[in-house]
Amino acid sequence: MKKLVYSCPFVPAEWIAAHGLRPSRILPGPADISAFAGASAGVCPYAAAFLHALCRDDTADAAVLTTVCDQMRRGFEQAQRDSHRPVFLLNVPSTWQTATAQKIYMSEIERLGRFMVRLGGKEPSAGELAGIMREYDARRSGLRHARGRVAPRRFSEAIAHFHREGTVDPASFEGTYMPRGIPVALVGGPLMSHHFSIFDVIERGGGTVVLDATESGERAMPLPMDRRSTRGDPFMTLADSYFGKIPDAFRRPNSRLYQWLERETAQRGVRGIILRYYTWCDKWHAELQRMKEWSQVPVLGVSAGAEEAMDGHTISRIESFLEMLK
Amino acid sequence: MRDAPRQITLEEWDARYAELSAAGMQEPAYGGPLRRHVGEGDLRLLKLRYDNSAAALRLWNFLLTEEDRLHQARAEGGKIVGAMKDLGTVPVLAYSLPGVTAFYPDGAWWIPCIMEDSTGLLPIADSLGIDESFCPVRAMLGAFVTGGHFPRPDLLTCSVGATCDDFSAIAQRLDGMGYPILWWEIPSRRHPDPDEPKVRLPGGFLAPETQVGFVRAELERLRKALEELAGRRLTDDALSAGIRAANRVRRSLSQLRRLTYAAEICPLPALEMLVAEMLAIHFCSDRAEARVVLDQLLREVRERVQARKGLLPKAAARVFWVNPVADLRVMTLLEECGGRICGTDYLFCHALDRIPENLPPMEALARMALADPMVGPAADRAKRICRDILAFHAEALVISRIPGASHCAMEGEVIRDWVRSKVGLPVIEIEVPPLSDSYHSTLRTRLEALVEAVKERRKP
Repeated sequence: MKKLVYSCPFVPAEWIAAHGLRPSRILPGPADISAFAGASAGVCPYAAAFLHALCRDDTADAAVLTTVCDQMRRGFEQAQRDSHRPVFLLNVPSTWQTATAQKIYMSEIERLGRFMVRLGGKEPSAGELAGIMREYDARRSGLRHARGRVAPRRFSEAIAHFHREGTVDPASFEGTYMPRGIPVALVGGPLMSHHFSIFDVIERGGGTVVLDATESGERAMPLPMDRRSTRGDPFMTLADSYFGKIPDAFRRPNSRLYQWLERETAQRGVRGIILRYYTWCDKWHAELQRMKEWSQVPVLGVSAGAEEAMDGHTISRIESFLEMLK
Repeated sequence: MRDAPRQITLEEWDARYAELSAAGMQEPAYGGPLRRHVGEGDLRLLKLRYDNSAAALRLWNFLLTEEDRLHQARAEGGKIVGAMKDLGTVPVLAYSLPGVTAFYPDGAWWIPCIMEDSTGLLPIADSLGIDESFCPVRAMLGAFVTGGHFPRPDLLTCSVGATCDDFSAIAQRLDGMGYPILWWEIPSRRHPDPDEPKVRLPGGFLAPETQVGFVRAELERLRKALEELAGRRLTDDALSAGIRAANRVRRSLSQLRRLTYAAEICPLPALEMLVAEMLAIHFCSDRAEARVVLDQLLREVRERVQARKGLLPKAAARVFWVNPVADLRVMTLLEECGGRICGTDYLFCHALDRIPENLPPMEALARMALADPMVGPAADRAKRICRDILAFHAEALVISRIPGASHCAMEGEVIRDWVRSKVGLPVIEIEVPPLSDSYHSTLRTRLEALVEAVKERRKP
């Protein structure tokens, strides 16, 4: 089965699977991004690491990039040039409240379908799509059920595993976990595969992540799908589950992100927010001060690069923040 | 009055102004000596060098009195539209309605340069969490907060989607601070699939018909918002008339560019040409006067070219310039280093192209908006740059990075590679902050090296 890799949560895994390809939403690992052909001052380390991974991953048959950030949009050209496999750019509108935005998204998903057919995939029937949507929905439901029952790091890693492999391993949820520590929310763009140590740093500092609102965490998972509408028009339901429901900083306006955070942080008793943004990621960086003004609880901003280990300065800042919350 | 073209300092302009006045120079209401703008805080003017013509004087005065025009429009009961990240589309719609004035709030990015950081706009942006890792357009936030530079618009629009992240993030910050924005989507322009209906855009790019349709639908939303603001319908006839008026400005500018950049001897300095090109975006808040200003410049240039008169040595290196500079002073620096501008891409080439007049007006505008070089692949932009390089016989390329701008991180390499491989010119990439004085020795060294390389290549 051919593997299609991507990084953006607005690419529906079900659509890829329904075409007979294997969806794999990856998080790039440590990379020497200075060696990346396009690396120069101002390049987001995540975008560079993803493009780096794309050009070196021999197991992928094709890749999808999206327009949710300018650097990924422009990185598409680099990937076309430097990667020997087919690459597709999915146009995800920033606006979301208009019929035009929804039409653009749906027409782009259809175009992605044609791309996959050219790769050797097959156009799915409505019934086939609905069936796969139900399977994915059930797996996501299993994942959600594990929240609070396993350590936060393991929970977030399980989400990442699901996105990458499409499977949920119930065995990984065995054992008992007693939540302790100051409840905090981790907000921001995606983690890289070697960045999950931030959960350990927070735990060592006396906190616990009760809300993983990063792009690689539960914020960017589609909400449970309505079974009746899945039977009626699965394509519309799929598009709405992704484009219509996932809150993100890049959306214009991005008021839904704040509405979602308000609800989730209140429900989980969050006492502090850690907003993590990559150097040169304007979309999340610009939200830091606004979030500080908006939030009822303290907010700490930490910047990140592509480095393998978290730097001492950032660890100290997180520890001090948690100490202040005690 | 016909004198030898020269670049002069502001001090020299005092005497020159007296001379022109004594000779009977006719000025518009916004005219006057340039020095008065220094008194209003435009300190950078003291360090620039200017063309000595009455046409250039009018251009500068037109540029530097835009805020007055906006305040006057407000005082007269007109409606003001702030068209953000919109390089030439919404203003065409807005100026088709009587009593509506559109301006370009992003233009505030030049305030820290023109006023030499004396207004504190950048520290205000810092305090709002928009620090120097963002593009200098962050000065716009400060301008909104202080309210000291332009009146608060009655309607704020912003194009998003295939735009740079800096601006999108800064505009969202503004929206979050209580300045509601009408967002409109400009999709990332892509090459049509082989079996897909396609449309040729002004400027030559191809786009899928569906994408043009999406943009047209977005422009219809804008039309509706503008109609509500103006309290009257914006008919297709009125819009067609607006397009024709915009095209008259574009035609004048196109002739000015062709004459100036192709001339054997440079007839107008880089700085005045940069300001003139900027008029295409939103007409500097007065469409009719923008055309008068351009036509006067055009006459001046025409006469100079016919008389084989110019400002710089004939041997000056012919340089194509990509991206506008945050510090205007750098355009003169290029000339001091032995170069001259022969072709530009200041991010808004689509605003220089003629808008089709043989199509329904919204279709024509949608095609023009989608022709924006920044919404498509950098390779498309590079192809157009190569085409213009050949048309203007440019001998070198300068890619001027805008500090912190998301598009500059990756596009420079694409453009450089295209230009090197297709037309084989020497290329340098420089970065220009709003006040570049402390970098001048480095910039000078690099620009001089480029000029030297050009002259070396001329040797048989």
